[in-house]
Amino acid sequence: MAAAGATDKTEYDTFPKLLLRNADIFGDRPAMREKDLGIWQSWTWKEVHEIVKNYAHGLKKLGLKAGDKVAIVGDNRPRLYWTFAAVQSLGATPVPNYQDSVADEMVFVLKHAEVTFAIVENQEQVDKVLSVADQLPKLRKIVYDDDRGLQDYDPKDLHSFERVIEIGRKEIEKNPKLVERWEAGFDKYNGSDIAVFLYTSGTTGRPKGVVLSYDNILISARNGNAFDGLDEMEEVLAYLPMAWVGDHIFSYGQSYTAGFCVSCPESRETINEDRREIGPTYFFAPPRPFEIMLTQITVNMEDASTVNRWLYNYFMDVAKKSGEKILNGEPVPFMERVKYWLGELFVYGPLKNQMGFSRLKVGYTAGEAIGPEIFSFYRSLGLNLKQLYGQTEAGVYVTVQPDGEIRADTVGKPAPDVEIKIDKSGEVLYRSPGVFLEYYKNKAATREAKTKDGWVHSGDAGFFDDTGHLHVIDRAKDVGKLKDGTLFPPKYIENKLKFFPNIQEAVAFGDGRDFCAMFINIDLTSVSNWAEKNNIIYGSYQELAAHPEVYSMIEEHVREVNLQLAGEGDLAGAQIKRFLVLHKELDPDDGEITRTAKVRRGFVGERYKPLVDALYDPKNYKQHISTEVTFEDGRKGKLEADVEIRDVQSVDVPEAHMQEAAE
Amino acid sequence: MSDTTLKPSRASMSAGKRNWLVTAALFAAAVVGSLVVGEGSLVYEIFVSPFLFVVEAPDLFVQVIWEGLVAGTLYALLGLGFVLIFKASGVFNFAQGIMVVFGALSLVGFYAAGIPAILSLLLSIAMMYVLAWTVERVVLRPLVNQDPLILFMATIGLTYFLIGFGEFIFGGEPKTMITEEIGLPSGSYSFDFMGGFVSLQKLDIAAAVIAAILVGCLAVFFNKTKVGRALRAVADDHQAALSVGITLRQIWVIVWFAAGIVALTTGIMWGARSDVSFALQIVALKALPVIILGGLTSIPGAIIGGLIIGISEKLAEFYWGPLVGGSIESWVPYFIALGFLWFRPQGLFGEKIIDRI
Amino acid sequence: MNTAIAEIQPGKPILAMDHISLSFGGVKAIRDVSFDIRKGEIRAIIGPNGAGKTSLLNVINGFYHPQEGIINYKGAKRNDMKPYVAASQGIARTFQNVALFAGMSTLDNIMSGRMLKMKVALPWHIIRFGPAEREEIEHREFVEQIIDFLEIQAIRRTPVGRLPYGLQKRVELGRALAMEPELLLLDEPMAGMNLEEKEDMSRFVLDVNDQFGTTIALIEHDMGVVMDISDRVIVLDYGQKIADGTPDEVKNNQNVIDAYLGVAH
Repeated sequence: MAAAGATDKTEYDTFPKLLLRNADIFGDRPAMREKDLGIWQSWTWKEVHEIVKNYAHGLKKLGLKAGDKVAIVGDNRPRLYWTFAAVQSLGATPVPNYQDSVADEMVFVLKHAEVTFAIVENQEQVDKVLSVADQLPKLRKIVYDDDRGLQDYDPKDLHSFERVIEIGRKEIEKNPKLVERWEAGFDKYNGSDIAVFLYTSGTTGRPKGVVLSYDNILISARNGNAFDGLDEMEEVLAYLPMAWVGDHIFSYGQSYTAGFCVSCPESRETINEDRREIGPTYFFAPPRPFEIMLTQITVNMEDASTVNRWLYNYFMDVAKKSGEKILNGEPVPFMERVKYWLGELFVYGPLKNQMGFSRLKVGYTAGEAIGPEIFSFYRSLGLNLKQLYGQTEAGVYVTVQPDGEIRADTVGKPAPDVEIKIDKSGEVLYRSPGVFLEYYKNKAATREAKTKDGWVHSGDAGFFDDTGHLHVIDRAKDVGKLKDGTLFPPKYIENKLKFFPNIQEAVAFGDGRDFCAMFINIDLTSVSNWAEKNNIIYGSYQELAAHPEVYSMIEEHVREVNLQLAGEGDLAGAQIKRFLVLHKELDPDDGEITRTAKVRRGFVGERYKPLVDALYDPKNYKQHISTEVTFEDGRKGKLEADVEIRDVQSVDVPEAHMQEAAE
Repeated sequence: MSDTTLKPSRASMSAGKRNWLVTAALFAAAVVGSLVVGEGSLVYEIFVSPFLFVVEAPDLFVQVIWEGLVAGTLYALLGLGFVLIFKASGVFNFAQGIMVVFGALSLVGFYAAGIPAILSLLLSIAMMYVLAWTVERVVLRPLVNQDPLILFMATIGLTYFLIGFGEFIFGGEPKTMITEEIGLPSGSYSFDFMGGFVSLQKLDIAAAVIAAILVGCLAVFFNKTKVGRALRAVADDHQAALSVGITLRQIWVIVWFAAGIVALTTGIMWGARSDVSFALQIVALKALPVIILGGLTSIPGAIIGGLIIGISEKLAEFYWGPLVGGSIESWVPYFIALGFLWFRPQGLFGEKIIDRI
Repeated sequence: MNTAIAEIQPGKPILAMDHISLSFGGVKAIRDVSFDIRKGEIRAIIGPNGAGKTSLLNVINGFYHPQEGIINYKGAKRNDMKPYVAASQGIARTFQNVALFAGMSTLDNIMSGRMLKMKVALPWHIIRFGPAEREEIEHREFVEQIIDFLEIQAIRRTPVGRLPYGLQKRVELGRALAMEPELLLLDEPMAGMNLEEKEDMSRFVLDVNDQFGTTIALIEHDMGVVMDISDRVIVLDYGQKIADGTPDEVKNNQNVIDAYLGVAH
């Protein structure tokens, strides 16, 4: 947009400066929305500026100083987003935390970052912080957003958001000059100063505090806006963890630079409905939510009337044939266009409306590989869904898919201002204005990840194809070798399995072993639906997972993956020989997957060692296992099961080629 | 365990399919047969001739459909009265038919007594309220928590009381509805249609419009107001409704009053087409097939059921009636209802009947 | 109706049952039971199946009319309650087997709890205009706060018949709360729930008691829950009161131990 473009010069190189600019040029446009008591409340940029001003003065009065670190814990709430700007306006550094992490996990981050203030959402988070307060000697004040259940708490070091605002308002009333001084203080900082600490969720080991500068975030955000033509008219829904770099760029960086409005859902359970009501124009999600939505549609369609089902199937076939071509601007016969147009009227339009994507301009999926069918499904509906490859250390963007060059199997071309090279071991290295300053208080790790001339080791293995698109196979250190020297990329194989709707999670073993073997987690929604159709009776997740028919169905999927692998040259040797279906869902509360749903392969291997051993014991077809599980409230229990192990036939390479030829 | 629960349902499903197959086969055989046997045979008269007639004279077909729609509107209103009361109080109200007559009679009666038409109309509405209040006081309240069958018997009693009471006050002879006096139009619109012409009575159009408005108002009332919410609450769960402070008596009066207004409207429309006489209450029994078709608890069911019955009886009368010397419209609806009971006892929209064994 | 209704101070009895007996035909459901419920407390009623617990709740909110005894609610003495009187004077309840209006949405179910608080006359509601519209909005706001309190925003528009059991119980609690009760009767609020749902429900019960000062009488089978959340406990067996006191007192009462172990009478 011209207005934003003209004034969006680098003089606005920090968030507080951008806030002033936005209050000035977008004054009466909405900046933030939240659904509260069933109604969407909204705040304009002017109002946000006013709140942040009072809030910052309140925090200052409570003793927040430049250089302090401030923890932010909670779901996506306007007040927590305002905390970023308020804290930054005082020269302090916000440290968002994953709101789901248990107190033990959280204490590491809070301690490591030496936080002095904690701004939290509600009683649950207050309790969590208080329970570890004795380990946090520097922590001085806690501020909470929602006061429910907190009336009886000792108010000495505990303040409600309203009270802080009130304190700030009174301060300014007493001495109006404070505001001038506050705003003048913004000029002490510029783009190269520290903006935020984002702790990585840590697939391995303890989390690392990625230190990002204003430039890192704002240049990345501006590049992102320019790349997709985003302006102050966009609508987004903030629902991904605030501690995640993606949300920080999309819901904070891009919103402040482009001036668009960010809406916060009413609660975590209402996200789908809220998205329908907001109709975002710009949307971001890891593959999982897209998978869930597709599963839901499929399930609904199976229960729909014959006419609706027929319409759906017919027009989805049309979409499969021409939808993506139309979206990519390729030539399509006139009749196909007519059919597609009818499909838009009867099927795609209503479906998109149902999902809240009617106004979607561009959507991104990242974090993990998305199933090609799922990706194509959304694109064939006319939704401009693209893939992106990014890292916290890069301020998100490493590669993105430009419009018109979108494929399911690549992560796109280098993002604006990003240089990429692949080293001898196959690892991807990148350099960009988004590249982080350092890991907080961890020089060794910084040295390991970032070269002197600014190249960052991504830790991922990948290659460029002829079209200049990057393919990411796996974590570089995870790409292992079987005993006979065959290349073994576990995640690559796992993802192939996870593309089946019936499989939620898969864990591959094989590095340094004789063959590749698998743990599989069934997808409860999908499999229970399948079970209902096939008259399979079960009482619990565990029973369903152990059902012989379920095993046979999963075996089919495994065989299909073997068939694919057999057609992929060297990987033919990495076919899956044995598998088992796990008796429980892998759970972040048990540390089995990360909060961003990445499997901790090593940890799972340790935890279920008897099962892994059984997989590699050719005579063992049933293994007993007893697992300790943690309930949501922190109590522990034991889960016992006998898990069946199945052999799978591997596919000969010639056979695979024959099948391919027949298709 | 799973076998025993599964087999019967599979068996019944295939039985259902077989029924359809048999029907289809019979129909095919009949058509083929008629072609073989030729014109004049019974099979030809039933399966071929009427359809040829439809094609030959589409204007007549449209006219018949229209007549059916109008009759159907009135049936729908009748069914609606039943459904309202059944939903809210679980009473199958046999007296709905006589309420139609009673409503129309009081309107005519008030006017005959020299009261202006509009005031008579308002008085008749008040009369329906008095009736609702009295029914709650005298019939429902003393019999609360009694078996539905007993309440049903009580409504039969109510029917005969109202017949006697009505004859005592208004006399037994048929009367003419004060159609024009209360502002209903007369005359008709005619227009050419595919080589013939179709004629629509203005009164019928007014009936359809008024019925639609009435249904719309009721829908808003039941879905959007606190009383409507209370009413649906009572229909769903008596005890829970009591526990939030809803008084059943008040709700019953309101429901019977609503049914009374529906009855009054039906009575006026019907009276305008024929006479106002006690014989109308027999016609009112047509509501039975309507609610069997639509389901006892469904308001949309009553409306759609009414329209289906209205249209099909007129079609049957016009195209097949002559075969048996006419007047089959008086029994065809019951026949259709019987067929429905066979395949779908809960009606088109009714709640599934699940009896625990 | 006795109009001598006093404002009851916390800690003083809001309800006193004096020598209540109830029988159906020849079956004695409640025999000469006396007890009180103090304002602000959580009072549990426990006992083996068929001990008369639900009958007792039904007497309190007027579904059953006892043959003998006196009910003193907020200083007004009566021989029996009527449901309407109970509801309009601040007694709300939930049911053992969930009695919701299955065809209506969560929102409408909870709104139905506002019935008695809505004062605007019927004709306004029929045309849904002016004061009725304002009243509807005002009560909707109150209901939204309950929805927020019970964390059921996601099911606001769902017909309750389609909800899982645990959520239905929550909606039922919401409907009772919408009445702004002074005395809330909960008939087995945690029956049929899993551990997590039970904990949620216990938290809600405690929060209601704590934040709104609502007096609560509840029937519950889960002894852990009862001992955790209640201030005083009445134990019934075969329609008779066999113990009354704090959870600890009751736990150690020999009659109670006998009744639960099934010692012959």
